Amino acid sequence: MSLAAERTSTILTPQLLAQLERLELVSRKVFRGRMKGERRSKRKGQSVEFADFRQYVPGDDLRFIDWNLFARLERLYLKLFLEEEDLHFYALIDTSTSMEFGEPTKLQYARQLAAALGFIGLCRADRVKIESLGASNKKPGPVLRGRASLWRMLQYVEGMEAGENVSLVEGVKNFCLRNSGKGILVLISDLMDKEGYEKALRFLVTQQMDVYLLHVLSPEELNPEVKGDLRLIDCEDDDVAEITVSRPLLDKYKRTLASFVDGARDFCTRRGMSYLMVSTETPVETLVGSYLRKRGLVR
Amino acid sequence: MLLADIVNTLVWWQWGLLALVPPAIIALYFLKLKRQPLEVPSTYLWTKAIEDLHVNSLWQRLRQSLLLLLQLLLIAIIVLALLRPGWSGTKLEGKRFVFLIDTSASMGATDVSPSRLDQAKREAIDFIQEMEAGAVAMVISFSNVAKVEQPFTDNRRALRSKIELIEPTNRPSDLSEALRAAAGLANPGQSGDPNNPIDVRTAEAQPATLLILSDGGFASVPTFKLGNLTPEYVAQAGTRQRNVAIVAFSTEVNPEKPGRVQAFARLENHADEATSVEVSLYLGTALLDAKTIALPARDEKTRLPGAAGASFEMQEIESGILKLQIDAKDNLVLDNTAFAVVNVPRPAKVLVVTPGTDALLLALKTDEAQKIANVSIAEPKLLETKAYQDQAAEGAYDLIIYDQCVPKTMPACNTLFIGAIPPGETAAEAVGPADGSKPAGIAGWKAGDKQGLPIVIDVNQVHPLTQLVQMGNVKIGYGRPVKGPPGTLTLIDSDAGALYSVGPRAGYEDAVLGFDIVTHEAEGKTFSNTDWPIRRSFPVFVMNALKYLGGVRSSLAAPNIMPGSPAVLRTVTPVKSILVTSPRGDRFEVPRELQNTFVFSRTDDLGVYEVREGSGNKVTQQFAVNLFDTRESDLTPAEKIDIGHEEVKAQQGKQVARKELWKWLLLGAIGVLIFEWYVYNRRVYL
Repeated sequence: MSLAAERTSTILTPQLLAQLERLELVSRKVFRGRMKGERRSKRKGQSVEFADFRQYVPGDDLRFIDWNLFARLERLYLKLFLEEEDLHFYALIDTSTSMEFGEPTKLQYARQLAAALGFIGLCRADRVKIESLGASNKKPGPVLRGRASLWRMLQYVEGMEAGENVSLVEGVKNFCLRNSGKGILVLISDLMDKEGYEKALRFLVTQQMDVYLLHVLSPEELNPEVKGDLRLIDCEDDDVAEITVSRPLLDKYKRTLASFVDGARDFCTRRGMSYLMVSTETPVETLVGSYLRKRGLVR
Repeated sequence: MLLADIVNTLVWWQWGLLALVPPAIIALYFLKLKRQPLEVPSTYLWTKAIEDLHVNSLWQRLRQSLLLLLQLLLIAIIVLALLRPGWSGTKLEGKRFVFLIDTSASMGATDVSPSRLDQAKREAIDFIQEMEAGAVAMVISFSNVAKVEQPFTDNRRALRSKIELIEPTNRPSDLSEALRAAAGLANPGQSGDPNNPIDVRTAEAQPATLLILSDGGFASVPTFKLGNLTPEYVAQAGTRQRNVAIVAFSTEVNPEKPGRVQAFARLENHADEATSVEVSLYLGTALLDAKTIALPARDEKTRLPGAAGASFEMQEIESGILKLQIDAKDNLVLDNTAFAVVNVPRPAKVLVVTPGTDALLLALKTDEAQKIANVSIAEPKLLETKAYQDQAAEGAYDLIIYDQCVPKTMPACNTLFIGAIPPGETAAEAVGPADGSKPAGIAGWKAGDKQGLPIVIDVNQVHPLTQLVQMGNVKIGYGRPVKGPPGTLTLIDSDAGALYSVGPRAGYEDAVLGFDIVTHEAEGKTFSNTDWPIRRSFPVFVMNALKYLGGVRSSLAAPNIMPGSPAVLRTVTPVKSILVTSPRGDRFEVPRELQNTFVFSRTDDLGVYEVREGSGNKVTQQFAVNLFDTRESDLTPAEKIDIGHEEVKAQQGKQVARKELWKWLLLGAIGVLIFEWYVYNRRVYL
């Protein structure tokens, strides 16, 4: 436990935890949960919030008959209440080798982000599941619920290591197959996949989840400070690109990056997903407390 | 020119070592190209970024190897510097120089930019720069007169500034005066006759080099002896010259259509190809007429210019300034405009002193004669009066006709003597006017013995006095052959001798007819000496005398004056001085000289000069100065000039000196090196 507590400090600081406690995950869609939670559900059930009346049919639970109405109308009506249910929150972290770049690494940033959002979910009794893209049926991520699960969550997140070079499509597809439930999905990735991100995101569209794509980029990628004649080696597939750094080349790179980001944003917006490009320089507190709040993921 | 003049500064093995340097640089460049490996999250974006840049990969590669190119350029410049490239320059060898700079009109030609004179000045300044230390030079500018701009000095700055101050003129060119000015020190103490063996030099001769910067557009100077002068002729001209010039422009009353005026112009084309020009005639500023004149090319053999005439017909012009302009785009603009002044016609003031020759008086009363002359008639006894003598001496008349009478002194005007001859020298000296100026009586008019029935042999049809005068049907009773002073021209010649002559007299002319028209004898008897008065030629003779001797020219326009030559002006009223305004607006006061003439010599500008008499503000007459000079208009530079018996070819006798380039190349190399350093440090890629 003490080990976990120590680790907590590297991912979530106490101040951040205190800030996160006040927040709550918001879904733009009302989903059906599996267990009773703190959210209204489409299902009618037992809560204090009145929903509707319905004529009694034999077999209905007598406890829900509105006897006051019966006294007035001498007819049996059932009083229906909104059911309050839990929310499924999924965080999917890209753990490819490329995520291990940057200071702090993009992966570390992604961990912090996932943990922070997960903690919000745990606080609100939501069903939280954090997985890496490389997770499979054999070693799925843990399903967590309740504040007490914080340490387990942190432990699991800590344990994620870069190097699972699963393509984005593969990882997302796997995830969708295993998790058919509806809810909020936050995909944290750098989208640096040579096969493209479009196909992967299309899987998520069919999933009818409330998808948030957090595109994590390091400052080195946004503003590369390189000089001279270089042989760039791709850390994932050892692909080589020979460049001689020049102002036009850097300008061209920046234009390419901008169009890449714009393309991704456009793609997501057209399909009802939320896209947010984040630099690892932005502190997680600011991101969660300000940016994601504006985007409506947390409240 | 550049590569032909190379000096090898290294031996073969040094060249070998140098030849190794460029390959070494290239090798080092490839070594340097070993790219530094750098692991990146993904080459995805980089590959995309360089894809586009690869499209123009050649340029990209060049851009990448900017440093290499700079280094190779540096080596190339150093190699070039080591080859010591240079070219032949000129160096003036000698101790004394005389620069003769032509400032004549043709030096204003623009076939070299900005003009020939500017190029000549520039070259002269260059020569001065190349003079050896201690050498002295003198600068003379010449047109038809020479001007010593700077006497001998070794002060180069003074020479330079004096050369820069030389201004172009519109004058024709004449080398002889400049040569005499230049020869002053070189051939000292020489008398007028260089061949005189007893001529003694008063100072030691100072040999000098004579640099003539001109286009050679002047006559050869055959009589000049160069002596200690070594001439060099530096021709100032471009490779091709084009010039269309107005070389004559005059106006004349149309003899066939009274009341009409004709203007004639002669155009010359000094170019090897035919051309056509637009000729516009203006009166003042109003356009009267315009014509397109085709001009043939210059004759290939004789080099004579292609010429064409242009004539314009217009209404009679009382007075004004006619301007003729051609729109040719040629190398000399001075000769593209010509002016002709039509002055207010001034009737001649004529005094006829006659005992009463009716035929003469009749001829003077014709309408035409009345138009051109105010004739006063007097008896011979008038000659004795003081009033006449004063008037005659002051030049109150333009012409006095003495019919069978002789004045004591010759008047200050032209004269026509009929049946008498002008008085001799002794008579002239006897009486002089009160102001001391002596109307000079000219010795030399002599009359031969009276001869009966002289037969006219020949009449000078060219001279205006006897133009259109037919004497074939004229019978003469008695006549005396007349013989005038030197310069006398015989107009009517007979078997007895000259019957009608005209001779000069200090600016005036005296015409003498050797026979009477009507002889008046002492007893009052008269008889006709000739049947001339009933012939058609008699009134013509009288009209000619009125026009020519009375100063009424048949041409409307005042005669043209060449730039630089003096204009002799006469006034209507005897005034002390006249005021002449040049086209530029400069005013000159000209005092009266002898015989009521005013000689104005500041005719440097082309255009129309205005003359005001005395303190009057009214312009009484105008005259035009035009460059009607074929030699100046012909811009072809002379290949050689003749001075004395020497022939001076263009650009000869220059000492070849070397101009080196390696200093500039090294400077360039340093520049390249600095740029390379900058590129390396700033990693600038263009």
